[in-house]
Amino acid sequence: MALTESTLQTNSPNGAPPAGDVVLRVENVVKTYGPLHALKGVSLSIRRGSIHGLLGENGAGKSTLVGLIAGMRTPTSGDIYLGDRSVAGSDVQSMEEAGVFLVTQEPMIVEELSVEENLMLGRWPASRGFIDRGTLRARATQILEQTGIAPDASARTLGAVDRRKLNILRALHSGGQVIILDEPTTSLTVADRRQLFDFMRELKARGVTFIFISHYNEEILEICDAVSVLRDGLLSGESGDLAHLDSAQLSEMVLGRDLALFHRKRRSHADIPEAETIRFRDVRGKGVDVAAFAIAPGEIVGFAGLPGSGVREFAQAVFGLRPARSGTVALPGGKQTDIPREPKTAFDIGIAYLSDDRRRDGLVGIRSIRDNIVMSSLDRLARGGWIDRRREEETARHFFDRMGVKALGLETLADNLSGGNQQKVCLGRVIATGPKLLIFDEPTRGIDVGVKEDVHRLIDQLTNGGTSVVVVTTDLDEMVRLVDRVCVFSGGEIVETLVGDEIDKERLRAAAFDRRDAGNGRVLS
Amino acid sequence: MTDGASSIGKRVATEAKAPAARVSLGRWLLQNIVWLWLLGLIVIFGLFNPYFFTLNNMQNIMVQATVLGLLALGISLPLLVAEIDLSITANMGFSSVIGAIAIGYGVPWWGGMLLGVGTGALVGVFNGLCVTRLRMVSLIETLAMMIILQGALLAITEGNTISNMPDAYIWIGQATVATWPVMPLVAVAAMVAVAIMLRRTVLGRSIYAVGGNAAASAAAGIRVNRIKVIAFTLSGLLAGVAGYMLAAWQIAITSNQGDGFMLYSIAAPIIGGVSVFGGRGSVLGVLGGVLLLTVIQAGLAVVSFPSFYVGMIGGLMIFVAVAIDAIRVRVSASR
Repeated sequence: MALTESTLQTNSPNGAPPAGDVVLRVENVVKTYGPLHALKGVSLSIRRGSIHGLLGENGAGKSTLVGLIAGMRTPTSGDIYLGDRSVAGSDVQSMEEAGVFLVTQEPMIVEELSVEENLMLGRWPASRGFIDRGTLRARATQILEQTGIAPDASARTLGAVDRRKLNILRALHSGGQVIILDEPTTSLTVADRRQLFDFMRELKARGVTFIFISHYNEEILEICDAVSVLRDGLLSGESGDLAHLDSAQLSEMVLGRDLALFHRKRRSHADIPEAETIRFRDVRGKGVDVAAFAIAPGEIVGFAGLPGSGVREFAQAVFGLRPARSGTVALPGGKQTDIPREPKTAFDIGIAYLSDDRRRDGLVGIRSIRDNIVMSSLDRLARGGWIDRRREEETARHFFDRMGVKALGLETLADNLSGGNQQKVCLGRVIATGPKLLIFDEPTRGIDVGVKEDVHRLIDQLTNGGTSVVVVTTDLDEMVRLVDRVCVFSGGEIVETLVGDEIDKERLRAAAFDRRDAGNGRVLS
Repeated sequence: MTDGASSIGKRVATEAKAPAARVSLGRWLLQNIVWLWLLGLIVIFGLFNPYFFTLNNMQNIMVQATVLGLLALGISLPLLVAEIDLSITANMGFSSVIGAIAIGYGVPWWGGMLLGVGTGALVGVFNGLCVTRLRMVSLIETLAMMIILQGALLAITEGNTISNMPDAYIWIGQATVATWPVMPLVAVAAMVAVAIMLRRTVLGRSIYAVGGNAAASAAAGIRVNRIKVIAFTLSGLLAGVAGYMLAAWQIAITSNQGDGFMLYSIAAPIIGGVSVFGGRGSVLGVLGGVLLLTVIQAGLAVVSFPSFYVGMIGGLMIFVAVAIDAIRVRVSASR
């Protein structure tokens, strides 16, 4: 494919667009942090009224690049032009005034303020320094119509999805001409995603330009007009003609090599005697009402459902992170006990859980890789409260190697790793506890295609050792390729189970994500 | 880095922004700035007044650093779990007076000592329970506790100074071995113990983890509330020990015992690099901060500045220390 080794010229390969057509131009931009080169000279042009995909592995320089464009950082050298004007080194405020908005990966929400104040954060209608409450409310009400979010609610009460929507809406409605969306879809449901895309197309028709970062090839192919691919801080390929590209070619551009897609050989566990399974009964609490769920050794079960369907509630309840009112668990060869009331107990009986948001509650960023890997196994590595340093070192080293974490060493701080490597450290931490049941909540969210395959292989290998795995995911592709059985959640209950050939994308979408009864339906207007 | 480096090498380097990559001299100096500033001040004070270099003066500084050292060490533990204990100096005065009164009622000196230290620890337990079980904000809860304990001390002493203490009780504050005072050994022992606890035990590791990210720690199976209560308890315990040291050294418990230590005991660990956001800091840093503040105090007393200016100059020196530390944090965090 000629594209992968594409030219490093400024214009897209399908003919140079007229200069007036380019809304944003990045010229030979370099960004260094001390001895490290995050960007080593990147040039690209973005056409007015296009949706421009930006691809690359974690750590390839995407976030650095959009940070420079949005005025969050200053390039070490090189220039950025908005129209004909050089804007390199401008701050966020002036870039927003010029119409360039960045919607970051982590939602930016001031919890102390109300929804409407967040919606127009820093851009409040005001006269003589006083905020014009009436106008604020009127505009917020109009924007939030149909989203189901109350303008006067406290932002603190919003869930992750609503927070992200609020950020996107802020950019979309603040007169943005160039809107950068850094992985905007990661916590959105299929329905939300579709609404977002519809809205993007509508704005595009009005001449708004988007830079769209995503790890999902399908999304890129669906919505983008052009893509640029970064690898190791350099532009490694670009294309202005996505109609002739497919997912495999995109992955190849990103990785610089063929992506060997992993498909698990689906197994049936129907003939396993019940006594050998892990059985949960009568797990009831806020938003969860599951009468029975059993999983066999070595089985991978996918949990599918919209936010609020009980899927995450159940996963967290059986781990003790969000204690349920009632519920019991029986492990193979063990007797029935109450489900854990706290994560510590869960780890002790062999149930481990990895959250969907590693920055929030998966990692301690300011501690080293070693500390993070052993964090859930400290008791096992200690005698009478004293840590056995040799065993600690061995354990950390073992899982560092086994997970294939790419870093200088065990002493590197978790904060300094790319998303994919952070996720590997988290995986190492939970696997190091030697669990019988591992629950992964969105195990590949926000990590690039290459690492995603690594993670899938790791999970598959775990089951060879008899570990049972639950995967909570909204990624249909992941579901189809990885699990043996799917449980569909709605209204806190398991309403449907899919096995074998029943597990395909269309069926899943219809069964789990297009449900009208699950509430939380229309949200992004 | 040249572009000729292998692509794997480049990738690793981009992802692992470890300081180990290139430790320049400037960076090394910045990392150890507390100690350099300390050394510089000793030289400056010595040049003003050669007495500052004498063994006698150095021994004095060590004695003075003992109480502050115990307090700073104590306050570091709540700081490491991203909380704060402002009641520590008031707790010091209050717990020592409880012990001293018990001795007045005929309890043996060691009983009074233990009662005082135990009282300090109990106050710590109480603070910890308020912060974890009742979800009180530690800044305000311990501030209220500070006012309560200061008031209690005044009420108990009725404004008088307690000074009739048994010889055995005050021995630790007065004893010398070949001119070397014994008291600093208590602070040294406490620091060694806490340093080992932080580095080698499950508790220590948990303290750092909780301070770094409480939600992640809980999800990783660490009992966050328990760790916080322990941190407050140890803080109170060290306040109790500091109270005993101060009483034995001064041979007196005044009605506002320990008030002067308040700001210094918070400033010392922060100057020494303990993060107010939790999860970062070491005992060695705390020691550096304590010695720095003590040298400033002792130095200003020795150098014949007009007394009106002493407070302001001392404040300026602390200001410089904090400013340099802020630069250090920014440089080492720049990515």
